[in-house]
Amino acid sequence: MSAAIVARAKGQKPAKEPVAGGGTEAEVCVVRLGHSRFGLPIHSILEIVGSTCPLPVPLAPEYVGGLVHYRGDVLTTVSLRRVLGLGASDAPQAILVLEGAGGCFGLQVDALQEVLQPTAADYEPNPATLDSRRRRFFAGTYKLRDGLLVMLDPGQLDPLRLRPAQGMVESLSRTTSRSTGKDSDKRGER
Amino acid sequence: MSRDSVRNRLPHGAVGAAGGGSVGTDGWRMPMDELTREFLIESQEGLDRMERCLTELEEKPGEMPLLAEIFRAVHTIKGTTGFLGFKRLETLAHAGENLLGLLREGELAATPQIITVLLELLDGLRGILRRIDSDGIEGEESDATLIARLAALQKPEACRAAEPPAPQPAPPVEVEPALAKQCVSEEQNLQSSPANDASPHAGAGQGAETAPARGAGNSAAESSLRVDVTLLNRMMNLVGELVLTRNQVLQAAAADARMTMLSRRLDMVTADLREAVMQARLQPVSHVFSKMPRMVRDLSRQLGKRVRLELDGQETELDKSLLEAIKDPLTHAVRNALDHGIECPEERAACGKDPEGRLRLRAKQEGSHVIVEVTDDGGGIAVEKVRDKAIERGLITVERAANLNERELLQLIFLPGFSTAAQVTSVSGRGVGMDVVRTNAEKIGGKVELDSRVGQGTTLRLRIPLTLAIIPALIVRGLGQSFALPQGALSELVHIAPEEATKAIEWIEEAPLYRLRGRLLPLVFLERLLAPGESRPGGGRDQFIAVLDADGRRYGLVVDGLADPEEIVVKPLSVALKEIGLYSGATVLGNGELALILDPGAIAIRAGIAMTADGDAARQEATEELAVQREAEYLLVEAAGNRAAVPLADVLRIEQVSLERIEYFAGRPVLRCGGQLLPIEDPGGALDAARRTAGARVVVVVCREGKRQVGIAVSHVLDVAAGSELREAGATLPAPGVTLLKERVTDIVNLSAVEPLPAPASDALQEAVEAWQ
Repeated sequence: MSAAIVARAKGQKPAKEPVAGGGTEAEVCVVRLGHSRFGLPIHSILEIVGSTCPLPVPLAPEYVGGLVHYRGDVLTTVSLRRVLGLGASDAPQAILVLEGAGGCFGLQVDALQEVLQPTAADYEPNPATLDSRRRRFFAGTYKLRDGLLVMLDPGQLDPLRLRPAQGMVESLSRTTSRSTGKDSDKRGER
Repeated sequence: MSRDSVRNRLPHGAVGAAGGGSVGTDGWRMPMDELTREFLIESQEGLDRMERCLTELEEKPGEMPLLAEIFRAVHTIKGTTGFLGFKRLETLAHAGENLLGLLREGELAATPQIITVLLELLDGLRGILRRIDSDGIEGEESDATLIARLAALQKPEACRAAEPPAPQPAPPVEVEPALAKQCVSEEQNLQSSPANDASPHAGAGQGAETAPARGAGNSAAESSLRVDVTLLNRMMNLVGELVLTRNQVLQAAAADARMTMLSRRLDMVTADLREAVMQARLQPVSHVFSKMPRMVRDLSRQLGKRVRLELDGQETELDKSLLEAIKDPLTHAVRNALDHGIECPEERAACGKDPEGRLRLRAKQEGSHVIVEVTDDGGGIAVEKVRDKAIERGLITVERAANLNERELLQLIFLPGFSTAAQVTSVSGRGVGMDVVRTNAEKIGGKVELDSRVGQGTTLRLRIPLTLAIIPALIVRGLGQSFALPQGALSELVHIAPEEATKAIEWIEEAPLYRLRGRLLPLVFLERLLAPGESRPGGGRDQFIAVLDADGRRYGLVVDGLADPEEIVVKPLSVALKEIGLYSGATVLGNGELALILDPGAIAIRAGIAMTADGDAARQEATEELAVQREAEYLLVEAAGNRAAVPLADVLRIEQVSLERIEYFAGRPVLRCGGQLLPIEDPGGALDAARRTAGARVVVVVCREGKRQVGIAVSHVLDVAAGSELREAGATLPAPGVTLLKERVTDIVNLSAVEPLPAPASDALQEAVEAWQ
């Protein structure tokens, strides 16, 4: 199944305009995360890397899943589970390669399901009651017969966008340097 | 502009395939942009050549080929600009061409005055080109004065009238401000160059295009292609990928005999391909050296000094990116040598020296490094002055200074904020020079050394790795994953057995320390550093201390395990991961596993390891101590059941290689490593013994023998032990070639008896390879 997606995905360049505009009948790739299903516009996907276990990066920001090897490059992956605040999973994950502002990145999901072609008439924008923290990642929803399919906004999943404000990074490095700096102080006392 | 394109050399045979047209058959379809960009690159190269020729012309006026080359450069610009519609450029080039035409036909002689004006023309043309490059237009400024001067010089009588009675190398007075201004603008360029680097002309010359033929006698240009650096980077990446695929094929093919043959061939081709792609990125250092004659000429005039510049080893090749990186340090070094090093002619004459100073730039390859030296025969650096200055600037305390030896005092010059110049001149003396040299060199994994003798001169030596893309690294384990540790910073490894762990690692409060040859070495636990919250039981397992020396910060990194050293291909990390600050990249290991590359310098800073000014002293002491100990120490090895001893002082490294990597040349086993051929000596028959078991590996002890390296093939390395001398009954001198090791009489491998490989090694090897194919 995933081969078919790859074939379809490869031929197209990632478009810049948002898919979920409502008018077009875009193809949607459905991914699974635990028991929930999410959709991604297929033209935003460059390639699908089969299930792998990304290399964890110690001290990396929360949303980083790890590193994967992709066509001679090392890609940083974003763990969709962590972004959406779900617990981590030890099972091998499927990696979707997306194009971000700072180059390609991987999106780590539990599994890939299918490719749908939902009709634009079924589309509805984000409801106002959505949890504000998660809401920025969602780009509306399709009302399917067997439930709702929440669309993800690939632009918001870009690691460059997920990067915390500079202050947070600094405070992180401060805490680590403080703990080790103490050692050197004490060494100086002797 | 030409920064982003590499001129690479191809054999003549390849020219036909690439097509001969200058712009290509579909040149007319190219967007205007592309054409202009091509024009800029080409003109820049032409002007660089012109600059070289002009400074040479000054030495040898009337040298016709030089004049012809200069004329060609200006003429090409004029011709192309007309076509592109850059009127200002065309007018200026035209004025220059007229003057150059007269010079070429011998109607005028190239006086220093004319050369100075021609250099101004060059700067004028460059200025316009820069403007076109940045803004896309050539600007409105008027070149009337310059054009008028060029025109005035065309009249021989006017020229003669203007000429000073006795020809002097000094330019006429009115030119002085122009030169000074030019120096300032060069200085600005130098400072703003990182910004220039940041604006990539990624699209420039996408694909490849043959350089246009520039008449006869320029066949080098015809057999070369201009290739975009991004394309080469991509090729490098793909080759890395191929290497990985090859490794997997090799593993999968082990069962089938025919596949094994094929995969071995794949192995060889891949290795050669990797070599070739790396080669394509290399450029001769002459690209940087060629800027120097002009700079030296202008600066020496400005400073009123007489300097002869000697360039040596221009053909030495270096990776493109590294070449860019040494440009600034080298410029600084040359400026320093001219300003502070070489004295004024009168002063030199008073000391009994040749009034003309000598500045030598030399490049040479030494193993996997390139050495670039800047040597002047000037006044040298007075160590006392350096010390006093450092104390005055508060860079070092008086007590500390008293403890430093001469060599160490000299290195203080590299501290930020240091300058010994009595006065700040426009050339140098703001106290940034040497600091920049060192920082830039260290950024690319290089080192800087300084030697100086008062009254005799100074040598600045830059040691630069051949390539940035591939570095040797030790693979260490921690947190259940692999990390790569660049070997450049690694000085030694210490093993701590589980039972020793509590005793060997001592603590002062919360700071772990290890006693290394009587000195305390601060330790950093990799696991604690990377997973600060989690506590792991420390005892009960093997631990290794990697003793690191990163920019003068010396510490031990405690890791869980060691794997084989590997040559790794460095892959950049995304911004989010770079911000962690402890990793310098990632890499794919031979087994396909990913690993993060640790940055020893950043780890030291994060862990609060202080930069010890006496770090060097400690290291020196340690190595001296080691040398004394090592004299009587041997590496105990076993080859096919026999024990032998190799003097430890001669051992460079120990490598475990699969038998397939041992090749034969002129009937002797050899090992290819890093593009070099290592003769293998097999005194104990370890190779034969290994051949009897399939897929066997053999241990090669790489030793130093005089200036060359030899490998000793052994089955196992047993231990390091101190040997004691043995005397033959009745003799007073110790018996040569034998020692008592671990209570057993053991042969010492005689390294000097290893014959060198036949002389024309590369040719013969080439033939052998061709014959085999």
